[in-house]
Amino acid sequence: MLALVLRRLWQGAISILGASVIIFVISRLSGDPVVMLVPPDAPPSLIAEIRTQYGLDQPLVWQYLLFIGHALTGDFGNSYRWQMPALKLILDRLPATIQLAACGLLFSVALAVPIGVLSAVHRGGWIDRIGRIFAMLGQAMPAFWVGLLLILVFAVQLNWLPAFGHGTPAHVVLPAIALGWYPVAAQTRIVRSAMLDVLDSDHIRLSRALGTPERLIVWKYALRNAAVPLLTMLGVYFAAMLGGAFVVETIFAWPGVGRTVVEAVFSRDFPVVQAGVLFTSILFVLSNLLVDLSYGLVDPRIRDVR
Amino acid sequence: MKPWITGLAAASLAALPLAQGLAQSGTLTVGLGAEATIMDPTRSSAGVDSYFFGQMFEQLLRTDPDLKQINWLAESWNLADEGGKPVITVKIRPGVTFHNGDPVTSADFQYGMQRQQDPKLSRFSHLLNAVEAFEVIDDLTFRLRFKEGDGSFITSNLHLWAMPKRHIEKVGEEEYQRAPVGTGPWKFVSRTVKEELRLEAYEGYWNKQNRPTVKNLVIKIIPEDLTRVAAYKTGAIDWIDAVPPAATAEFAKLENTSTYTAVTGNNLFLNFNTHQPNSPFNDVRVRRAAAHAIDMDAIIKRVLFDQGERYAEIGRGTPGYDPDLKPYPYDPRRARALLAEAGHPRGFEVPCYNLTTPREPNIKEMGEAAYAYLSAIGIRCQIRQLEYGAWINLGRRDAPPEMDGIVSWMWSHGLPGDPGTPWLGHLHSYQAGKGLGSYSYTDNAEMDALLRQQQTTMDPVKREALLKQIARIKHDQVLGGLTTYRPMVTIAWRTSKVAFKPWPSPGFWRNFQEIGLK
Amino acid sequence: MSASTLPARRIPWAALRRLPWLPLLVLGAVGIAAIGGEAISPHDPNGLDLSASFKPPAWQDGGSWDYPLGADNLGRDILSRIMAGCGVSVIVAFYAILFSGSIGALAGMIAGYFGGRVDAVLMRLIEIQQSVPSIALALILAAAMEPGLSTVVIVIVLTYWAWYARIIRGEIMALKGRDYIAFARTAGVSTPVIFRRHLLPNIFNTLVVLGTLQVGQVILFEASLSFLGLGIQQPDISWGLMLSDARQYITNAWWGITMPGIAIMLTCLSANIFGDWLRDRLDPQMRQL
Repeated sequence: MLALVLRRLWQGAISILGASVIIFVISRLSGDPVVMLVPPDAPPSLIAEIRTQYGLDQPLVWQYLLFIGHALTGDFGNSYRWQMPALKLILDRLPATIQLAACGLLFSVALAVPIGVLSAVHRGGWIDRIGRIFAMLGQAMPAFWVGLLLILVFAVQLNWLPAFGHGTPAHVVLPAIALGWYPVAAQTRIVRSAMLDVLDSDHIRLSRALGTPERLIVWKYALRNAAVPLLTMLGVYFAAMLGGAFVVETIFAWPGVGRTVVEAVFSRDFPVVQAGVLFTSILFVLSNLLVDLSYGLVDPRIRDVR
Repeated sequence: MKPWITGLAAASLAALPLAQGLAQSGTLTVGLGAEATIMDPTRSSAGVDSYFFGQMFEQLLRTDPDLKQINWLAESWNLADEGGKPVITVKIRPGVTFHNGDPVTSADFQYGMQRQQDPKLSRFSHLLNAVEAFEVIDDLTFRLRFKEGDGSFITSNLHLWAMPKRHIEKVGEEEYQRAPVGTGPWKFVSRTVKEELRLEAYEGYWNKQNRPTVKNLVIKIIPEDLTRVAAYKTGAIDWIDAVPPAATAEFAKLENTSTYTAVTGNNLFLNFNTHQPNSPFNDVRVRRAAAHAIDMDAIIKRVLFDQGERYAEIGRGTPGYDPDLKPYPYDPRRARALLAEAGHPRGFEVPCYNLTTPREPNIKEMGEAAYAYLSAIGIRCQIRQLEYGAWINLGRRDAPPEMDGIVSWMWSHGLPGDPGTPWLGHLHSYQAGKGLGSYSYTDNAEMDALLRQQQTTMDPVKREALLKQIARIKHDQVLGGLTTYRPMVTIAWRTSKVAFKPWPSPGFWRNFQEIGLK
Repeated sequence: MSASTLPARRIPWAALRRLPWLPLLVLGAVGIAAIGGEAISPHDPNGLDLSASFKPPAWQDGGSWDYPLGADNLGRDILSRIMAGCGVSVIVAFYAILFSGSIGALAGMIAGYFGGRVDAVLMRLIEIQQSVPSIALALILAAAMEPGLSTVVIVIVLTYWAWYARIIRGEIMALKGRDYIAFARTAGVSTPVIFRRHLLPNIFNTLVVLGTLQVGQVILFEASLSFLGLGIQQPDISWGLMLSDARQYITNAWWGITMPGIAIMLTCLSANIFGDWLRDRLDPQMRQL
């Protein structure tokens, strides 16, 4: 087991390194950041001066080696725009993003489990159909659209919940819904099919025969077993939440990594883009690692199906 | 013409409970749509930076709410001529202190200038190129000696900032960037990047007349329009910046809300490719056709929701403004005729580059509409949208890609603003490596000579006449682009709770010079 | 399970009666609008008429049947723009799925079939690809290239090929162990022939299901990119772009933000339901996907 963990960690590190090359090269193809930093009437000498200051006059390969060398010591350079360490900018925002992703995930699971269970119990019935359509709706609407409609209805019209900012639990509700609805359909499917399998199993039939109340059978004995496949997949969904946060954070002015990176892309703030995407990638890889490990523990057969 | 100030809560301008003797207390939360990147005026790189440092730092001169230049940290100043070279002598207002209690002296201005001249710190070091020497006469008097005239120096409020020399040398650069100290009405408390800036009214502030009457100010950053509006409606903020144009009509009718609308310091225009030999816009008739083709008034009404003011070359209140200069009237028949006269009876196709930045509300829609009007008379636009980064790369002359059609452009120099410097950028001919015509597709020798002349003319009266002369030629020949409109911004606040008097530049009415709770 | 017996590609007629008709109807309408293009749309989708700006839908006060679903801020007919958006959605989805599917399937087949070092290298590439959040990768890619239709397709292909490759690789690895493949190899059948005759037919169903399920994802992805300003650009029209344009008028004109959103929702929902149906018919193994 330890060997597996170490091997996966090593592979993860290689992936991140590869990702860093891609991010570095592509972001540098996106244009000259210096002209965006100086006033339009700035003389070329000033532009050249700043370019030298940021090391942008060096060959690309050398720039990358310098970047990765410094990054390994925790120095991602200073943000061009904010003139403060890019790493600090990102790390300060990481908790908010993790919080949002976790709440989104919580929302999706809180919906998926009851829908999945009910539609398994009432298989083929109207609860099954309506539940699944509701779950699929999340997969059919862009998260930002859901976010806008939620703001319009619950913040502007009804004034029940705050539309922006963060701090209190109320603030996270709307963004978490906008973010968490998408994976409900997939999660429902997992819970439903696992429940169908379990409800069909011998020991449940035995419990029924012994006269255990149906409610107890479904919500306790069956669900306990049916939850395992969903639990093993949580890492994947958490990673997906991190990706979705890029758009949702922008709508709700959520002070997270995603919104910071989006803005940095537009202002060609390479150090922030690099630090932001790399840290999201690390979280990504770690979540996927957890998934792989829990697969290995629970059911080695499904390891390659994602 | 639109009134200079519309939808104004006249009552709040007229009288405000003044600070004298009043104990400052309470907290006010305001919402801004854009955020300053840094808080040190020396390091400023974008107009939005003044939203923050404008609250904490001050200059020798400033523009008052009526756009008149008044002495601020300067008690008095004068411009003289010594041996053909200009000299400015400044007397600093006595009794001004920094937020740490240190008095402001000539040395602090000298230090401020040295910082501004250091290209490692400042992105505007070139603006002080004309200054030869800074002489400290005594603690409250100093003299600036110039190598040559600098026409925009005075209109830019003498450029210098009061920077606390002793304090910065003591705490170091890094700490100073984190917690700035200035002379302004607001003192730094804390900042969370991309979230909020917390300020506290400075008790020792020198200006007892015009000062905040609330103790704490929380500036929230809410870039998303809908969210910012929701924050105001739900009461999370009591003062909102940049009401989205589409919502201005609704805000004007909102109960318990005062609104205030005024032009920002931005000036928009469409520029034409006249630097490539085969461009149809080399013919002045085609440029005039374009000028007659666009119904700017309809665009301002429908697309900008009246949040724009037409202007011809130079806007009202800006040096060189000429009330006799009128925008080209909308006349599609004349436009078609001009186009035919120029040898394009069936029109032509041309790439039309459209800026889509969120920095200027509805600029994308405005461009789409203007280009549709051009297409209607035969200048058939193939619209290409550009976000800010790609746009500025296209516009500059010193690197590819070439601007080979029409581009929506702007110059932003605050209020009242000075057209001299921006004109050197987009009207003067391009001269590689000299910082002239960096974004210019025009090459006109007469213009170049006039532009260089205004550059070194410091005398305000002579300069005014020169600017007017340039504007007239520019307008007649449609050189350096076709001026379209000046964007306007609307702010709003809760009448029952907030007493607010808008101050202009720098920061386009986001200066909380006089604000308080009712 | 059924892999070696080659599940028949023909669909049993009995199943036709259980076809998801409603979703197919929606998808058919999208297809017709896409093919018909401007020939069948009531207005020029980019035709601007400032006097009609914010005209409400026909059934509301002030609306008219000239603009059945209302007009946007520049007075452009929303129905015509939604119809024009069908075309862009279909083109983006078609090319994105075609290329990401083929590249992904080929990579997956090669990795799964050859194994060893080839597999290791390809898997590493896939992992690198999947370690970057796709929307982040898309953002910097779109900023590096000129934004527009082809950039959107390239970005989607680059983010989705790994998804195909991973799944196909798994299937191929399972197939490789089958006797008839091993037999073909020892009998000296050339590798391309094995790929074409034995591997491709077996993963065909999976590919069809994955492709159908990707339709919705592609449309949402494109919408997100367009919303962030790095997707489809004028004069091309996409639903995501329409939403992005209408966002600031959400309180002035509800129809601007609702209509294109409903178009996205109906199309994605139909594609997903149809995909689910296909999956249950063709490839019961993947129910959890």
